[in-house]
Formats: sequence, C-alpha cells, structure tokens
Amino acid sequence: MKPSRAKLFKGLNLTAFSLVMVFLYIPILILIVYSFNDSRIISGWQGFTLKYYAQLFSNPTIGEAFRNTMLIAGLSTLISTSLGIMAALGLENKRFKARGGLLALIYTPLVIPDILMGVSLALLFNFTRVNTGMVTVLIAHVTFCISYTVIVIQSRLEGFDYSLVEAAADLGARPHYIFWRIKFPLMLPGIIAAALLAFTLSIDDFIITFFTSGRGFDTLPIYVEGTIRRGTITTINALSTLMIGFTLFLVVITKRIRKILISAL
Amino acid sequence: MPQSREALQEKRKNLSSWLLSLPTMIWLACFFLVPYLIVVFYSFLTPDIYDVKFEVSLEAYRQIFTDGYLQPFFLSFKLAIYTVLICLLLGFPVAYYMARASEKLKNTLLILIIIPFWTNLIIRIFSWRIFLSYSGVLNEALIGLGMISQPLEIMRTNLAVILVMVYVYLPYMILPLYSVLEKLDFTLLNAAMDLGANEVKAFFRVTLPLAVEGIFAGTLLVFIPALGAYLIPQLVGNQRSLYVGQVITYKVKNIPRNWPMASALSLTLLLMVAILLLIMYAIYRRHLARRHY
Repeated sequence: MKPSRAKLFKGLNLTAFSLVMVFLYIPILILIVYSFNDSRIISGWQGFTLKYYAQLFSNPTIGEAFRNTMLIAGLSTLISTSLGIMAALGLENKRFKARGGLLALIYTPLVIPDILMGVSLALLFNFTRVNTGMVTVLIAHVTFCISYTVIVIQSRLEGFDYSLVEAAADLGARPHYIFWRIKFPLMLPGIIAAALLAFTLSIDDFIITFFTSGRGFDTLPIYVEGTIRRGTITTINALSTLMIGFTLFLVVITKRIRKILISAL
Repeated sequence: MPQSREALQEKRKNLSSWLLSLPTMIWLACFFLVPYLIVVFYSFLTPDIYDVKFEVSLEAYRQIFTDGYLQPFFLSFKLAIYTVLICLLLGFPVAYYMARASEKLKNTLLILIIIPFWTNLIIRIFSWRIFLSYSGVLNEALIGLGMISQPLEIMRTNLAVILVMVYVYLPYMILPLYSVLEKLDFTLLNAAMDLGANEVKAFFRVTLPLAVEGIFAGTLLVFIPALGAYLIPQLVGNQRSLYVGQVITYKVKNIPRNWPMASALSLTLLLMVAILLLIMYAIYRRHLARRHY
C-alpha cells in the first residue's frame, strides 16, 4: 500500500496533540505538587509538607462529606442502573407502542443544561414542601443518571447476537434460564460501564446537588466549593490529589475496567 | 390458528415492555416532566422573601425584557460560542491525530484524554485558580523568567472563563470527532490527492464533509453545558458581569428569594437551547439532503 501523502497535517496534528496534552495536564500536576507545599495561601514553593494530608484525615466535616458522597453515589448507581437495565430490555422490542415516547423522555434531559434540572427539582421540593436533604439529593442524582444508564446498556443490546438466545431456546432452555445464563452475562460489560458512568457522574455533580441539598447535607463537591468561597483552601489541594489518585486508580490500574470503558465509548 | 397465537405473543411482548419501562417512565414523569410544569407555573407568580405568593403576575417576564436581564444571556451565549470554536479548532487536529495512530497507541491516547475528563470538575476548576491567580504559578514563572514585571490579572476575567471552559469541555469535542474520524476511509484522501487536489483542498472537500456528524455532536456537547455553566464563571469569572447560570442561582439561593424570576429566566434559557437545537437540526437535514454519496 502506498503511504499517505498527507504530510503537512501530520506534523501539525502531532503538535496540536502535544500542546493539548500539556494544556490538559499542567493544572492537575501543579495541583498535586502544591498539595505538598508548606503555604497557607496560593503562592510560590515554600517547602515540602504532609501536614495537609494529616489535617484532611482529622477533619470530621470532610469525613462526613466523603461518606455522604459515597452513599449517594452508591445508591443512585444501584437505582439508576436497575431502572436502566429494565428500560433497555423494554426498549428492545421495536414494536413497543410507547417506545418513541420513552426514548424522547430519556434523551431530552441530555440536551438541557444541568442547572435547569437543579432549578426545576428545587421548585418541585419547594412546591411539595418536602424537606431537602439526603433523600432529595438521591432523587436528583437518580434522575440525571437514568438517561445515561439506559443509553449505555441499550447501545450494547443493539449489537446483541440473538442467535445465541435462539440456539438455547431450540435446545429447550427455559426463558429465565436463557436470561440469567446467556443474556445477562453478555449484557454485563454494558451494565458495568453504565454503573461506572453513573457513579462518576454522581460523585462529580455540583450544581444539581447544590439546588437539592438542604443545610447540613454536604457532598464533597459542595464542601469543596464552600471552602474555596470562604478562602480556607489549605486542605483542598490534598483532598484533590487523593481524588485524582482515585480516578487514576480506576482508569489506569484496573485494566479490565479500562477495556470496558473503551468499548463503551 | 397460528395468526392469533402470533397476535397473542405480540401482545405479551408489548405488555412485558410496558412493565419493564414503567418504573423509568414514572420516575422521569415525576422528577423530570412535572418539575418543568411547576417552573412554568411559578414563573407567573409573585415573589415573597423566602417563598412565593400565589397571585398571578407577569412581573418576572416584564423585568427580563426591561431591567438588563438580557445582558447575562448575551454574555453566556458569546462565551459559549467562543468556547465551541476554540474546542473545535483544538479538538479537530487532536482527534485526527488519534484516529490515524496505530491501534495500540489509540487506546493509550484515549485514556490520556479521558483521565482529566474523569477527574472531579470542581477540582479541575480549582487547579486553574492556582495556576492563574495573582500570585499563582503562571505569574511566578513569567516574573521569574523576566518576561513580565507586574503579575497578569487573568483570574476573574472573561478570558479565564473561556480558558477553563475550553479545558473542561474539550474532551466532549474530541471524543465524538474521534469516533467519526476513526471510521473515515483515509484512502479517499489519497484518491483526492492522486486526482490533483492538494492537501488543504482534500481536507476541505473530503475529510471535513465526512466529519460533519462529529462536529455537530461535539458542538452540542460543548455548547449546552457552556451556556448553562455556573461553577466556572462563579470560581474564575468576573463578578461584575454575571453569567445566566449565576443570576438564576442567586435568585434561588440569595435572600430575598425570587422563585418567579428564577423560573422565568430558566424558561428563557430553555427556549434558547430549543431554538438552537432546531436550527442545528435544520442545518443537519440540509446537509444530509445535499449528500449524494
């Protein structure tokens, strides 16, 4: 095969890619380095310290925010993934009468800015006089996760090899046996990808939580924003570094998860 | 009779589809559709210090069009457009490079793009504050190198907002572009060049038209969150000229509260997004109609 003659763009693209990599990683690297900087304000390098990590672990507010975040992320992942599996199986039937309506309901939240979901849910809870707190945050998180879980699981079912199911049926397998032994295992990568996506979206969310959490129920992003606003940022660098470490662990070190994530793109 | 058995089976399949999708339908109806109906309802009420008075009023809408509330919409719209354009200019060559890399390299490059994307949003914004602030890393470095004598004041400007928005939303542009460019048949480019097109012409006549779907998807994925952004302008933006997201949030969070105003502003923003989607859809339809291959 003749090599491509598109030479000009090749050099240009590599340059662009390298620049973007620098752009994407420099702030994160600085953040990590500064978590070890012995200074109470944003300033030049003042010497190495681990004291902000120590403060991080002895701060009960951060501990509570961390537990709240994990609780909400875990529960909203569980609920939204379960609903997603069911809805995706329901959507499998192309002649389902409400298919178009359900798809519209699932895709619309994706093309509306997050802040509007936050405002509308805040209004709902105000109108119905529900006290905001853990339950309202959980409801909000499930609501914005559902669309993603349904779509990821459904896109996996689109390319599903039904001949396996038919073969099992021809061999006399019962429907629930077919589902749990053949279909579910084949759906599993999609389900894991959906669950991971829901979990990350939940941990990451600030604005919708901001509108739906009452006083006294802080997740980590809410805590971090409040701390930045008050100007006491000493532990935030350390906290951020640990959270980046968690992401790296999830994406880089766990090879299987990485494969699933790439295949889900 | 086989036909009635088929009809019965069809009915059963439809029923099971209903049962499987009903929980999601009910959830989204209660927590997605109904809240918007309440937004519409509240936008016609009268504000109270903490709550609303159930008296019909068009005051919120009148204020939007007369009291300078359109300014934040223009600002948000302008900065979101800039963000999309810069993301497109930066994202295209990056996606192109990734799409033409060897299979083994591709996955590594994808991971490199995804890691920042999977890092907590507020942390990424915060890291820019360290980088850009008055006594931050950039200023220290530039002064250290003798390139400037006074620290640059980039923090709390529209430039900082655009910079951080590009940083945060760039992967949303790169990933859809990558997925169309990866499927692109690059022999078409060589064919165009064999037929006498130069590299630039081949790019505009072959690559770009085939990547339109990715450009549309990326544009939407960047534009929509950029338009409704709150956290980025709040943390790095100029607090004298507010973003729509900030105005809406203040109306809900600050006392005296103004739920009707927040609702009316939200609906205006929603309308903007809807108009944009319709325009994009119309352009996309025309593009498909003109395509003959």
